[in-house]
Amino acid sequence: MNGTLLEIGPPAAREERSGFEPVVVAIVCNWCTYAGADMAGTTRRAYPPNVRLLRVPCTGRVSPLQVLKAFEQGADGVLVSGCHPGDCHYVHGNLVARRRLAILRALLDFVGLDARRFHVSWVSASEGVRWARVVETVTRAVREAGPLDAWSPRDGEEPVRLPEPPPAPSPPASPEEQEAVGRNLRSLAASLLGEGRVTVFLGYGEATLPGRAVPLLATDLAEASALVWNDRCHSNLAVYLAGPNRVPGKVAVVLKACDARAVIGLQQEGQLRREDLVLVGVRCPGVREEDGRLALKCHACDGEVAAGCDFTVSADGVETGAARSAAPRAVAPDPRDAAIAFLEGLPPARRWAFWREQFDRCLRCYACRAVCPLCYCGTCISEHHRPQWIPASIGPRGNASWNAIRAYHLAGRCAGCDECTRACPARLRLDLLNRRLALEVERRFGYRAGEDPSAAPPLAAFRPEDPQEFVHA
Amino acid sequence: MSTAFDRNGSWSLDAADLRAWIGGLVGSGARVVAPAEREGLWTFRPLRSGEELALPAGFPAWSPKEFLFPRTETLFRYESSGGEPGLEDPVREDVPQVLFGLAPCDAAGLVRLDAVLGADPAYASRRALTTVVTLACDAARPECFCTTVGGSPHGEEGGDLLLVPSDGAFLLRPLTRKGTELAAGASASWAPATAEAWERARARLREVAEAVGRSPLAHGFAEGLERRFGSRAWQQVGRRCLGCSICTYVCPSCSCFDIQDEGSPGCGRRCRIWDSCTFGLFTLHASGHNPRPNQAARYRQRVLHKFSSYPLEHGGVPMCVGCGRCVRLCPAGLDVRETVERVLAEGKEPRHAGP
Repeated sequence: MNGTLLEIGPPAAREERSGFEPVVVAIVCNWCTYAGADMAGTTRRAYPPNVRLLRVPCTGRVSPLQVLKAFEQGADGVLVSGCHPGDCHYVHGNLVARRRLAILRALLDFVGLDARRFHVSWVSASEGVRWARVVETVTRAVREAGPLDAWSPRDGEEPVRLPEPPPAPSPPASPEEQEAVGRNLRSLAASLLGEGRVTVFLGYGEATLPGRAVPLLATDLAEASALVWNDRCHSNLAVYLAGPNRVPGKVAVVLKACDARAVIGLQQEGQLRREDLVLVGVRCPGVREEDGRLALKCHACDGEVAAGCDFTVSADGVETGAARSAAPRAVAPDPRDAAIAFLEGLPPARRWAFWREQFDRCLRCYACRAVCPLCYCGTCISEHHRPQWIPASIGPRGNASWNAIRAYHLAGRCAGCDECTRACPARLRLDLLNRRLALEVERRFGYRAGEDPSAAPPLAAFRPEDPQEFVHA
Repeated sequence: MSTAFDRNGSWSLDAADLRAWIGGLVGSGARVVAPAEREGLWTFRPLRSGEELALPAGFPAWSPKEFLFPRTETLFRYESSGGEPGLEDPVREDVPQVLFGLAPCDAAGLVRLDAVLGADPAYASRRALTTVVTLACDAARPECFCTTVGGSPHGEEGGDLLLVPSDGAFLLRPLTRKGTELAAGASASWAPATAEAWERARARLREVAEAVGRSPLAHGFAEGLERRFGSRAWQQVGRRCLGCSICTYVCPSCSCFDIQDEGSPGCGRRCRIWDSCTFGLFTLHASGHNPRPNQAARYRQRVLHKFSSYPLEHGGVPMCVGCGRCVRLCPAGLDVRETVERVLAEGKEPRHAGP
């Protein structure tokens, strides 16, 4: 490769120079595919010169960042290739990679990058002929897909409009009912703080703006008397349990059903000490937007208190343990799934038009990360600068890479609380990215995040029989 | 064209007049930036025609500062192939620019930016080519507090022309020579505004100012906050802060930036990028030491810069212009108005306590 892809120039410029010759970055493992490509060379097997090889020890080492970087720097297609399942030099690196690449592929396809640009294959050291064939197939597919589309929205482009969500399946809770829950929370907080069982009671208080509730960290009875409960209690308070915003001490935390999934995720990943926590589950009537509409995440949720909570608080009182109500809230299909289906029904170019307009708005304020309980890393990948995987500059390429890698890092982990989407000042539909990958993880690996604190995280695990229909035959 | 600057002259326009005027400006090659809506989100966007002008418009989610102080700005490009490195200035697409329909708080925010960035050549050249048309507010939002920080819903600071809603139409008054010149091409066809129309409009503006319902900061607020640097209240309020940068990025007057080199050793660019004092990385030293070690300390920094260190250096004028965006958008529900009041209500404590 002559220098970086940046020096080769953007695809459009290359097209003008010499007709379209796709650039394909092939990330290959040292032990099988690289040797296979070598075999193709030593046996004088011709294949298209469009691939640039990047040798890594194992496909298990391939990071989605490398793939995103290749596209960001102007590659038209990426191929990841390693040993056949069972042949991995490191026993099962390629099987872990298979899961991750399947998720990355679903993500790239969903944002409209076009599935024809991203390929996975298994090529052994003896399969020079196979390598040549794979490169031919991949180059042909990328050539058909054409040069990578522009990163910025086109002037005057018809915007993609998502369908209107359906009406809420359940009515709002009455003010009296909400106040009763608030009263019960206050009395529970008073007894927990009063008896010294906790040092902080994390709940919600009245905001300074009307019709809102904000996180309230009550440390004494006076502060606890300001606790409230209503359908504007949006914040996922689990964000204060781990990572840079962790509240020290013995903490009782008020949790809605979605918030509790985040706590289970944190527990699963060894980020909190369960014995330092008192989990206060609230039977949730669903939270509502400023215009009174039920939040999209709530349509398919019955609001019941998650298993594992220490207390169940409802309008009727405080019960010990996680108690189910006699009549759970009515649910309906998840409207986020309808929006996802709508986008998937569009051609890739239109999906990309939707997402690049979204990414273009992104201010890179990292509010999505700040409000996310599962974003607990001390140093975020966006802050690494050797190498600078995610461009720090606020612009179309860096914004796309940032939002893609965050969605990927949450795959199989996201609790679906949609706090990132609520916090986003530019109103990016991050909920759709996260939900799309949650569905992919469930479909492929039969796993749902936030249900079992003892389960292995799906992208750190594998099964020999995991589907690999996307791998080149 | 020589135009006399007459501060007392003013016109009465309807929406069609405004659109025709904007259309003429767009046609002349100026970039006209105004509030525009997409998917329910209002932001400042360049208009392609006068017809695109939204009247009435929503309050944009973030300030128009990016049209003077872009989110990312290339300072130079470099190329090196072994020998002498080649440096190249970026092509500056500086065209006459009209920032149209700014609320008085946003217009005042540009004056705060000038104080910090005015000496920067790229900023200064864009600023010189920019004319600001302020639109007086005809309603107060719950988060508004311009009257606390010396502004008003019909404030003139930072504006070149003042547009005032009046009985479904608008009164327009130049505030500077630049403003007069912007109107010069079109004003011949506009009707002069009557004293009665101004009287009615002023009465309405007074009502809006009362609706904001906030009294000015007490005398000596900047010194008072500085003396309470070590107050425990900072920790009590700031521990809720989650460390995003919404408040600074949507702010009309926040002007901090980072300098980054992007590319490879062979070629790339140096650029200036928005940055925020709310990020831990902002003050992290190479040694690993961080003088602002927690989020409460970073939150205090932002509040003190707006309400103490800046006013102490600028004749008592707060850096904050009271647009209220940070209040509305903070995901943790932090309200800078409440924070300032609460800290000022605390007793004085030694400077080196606190977060």
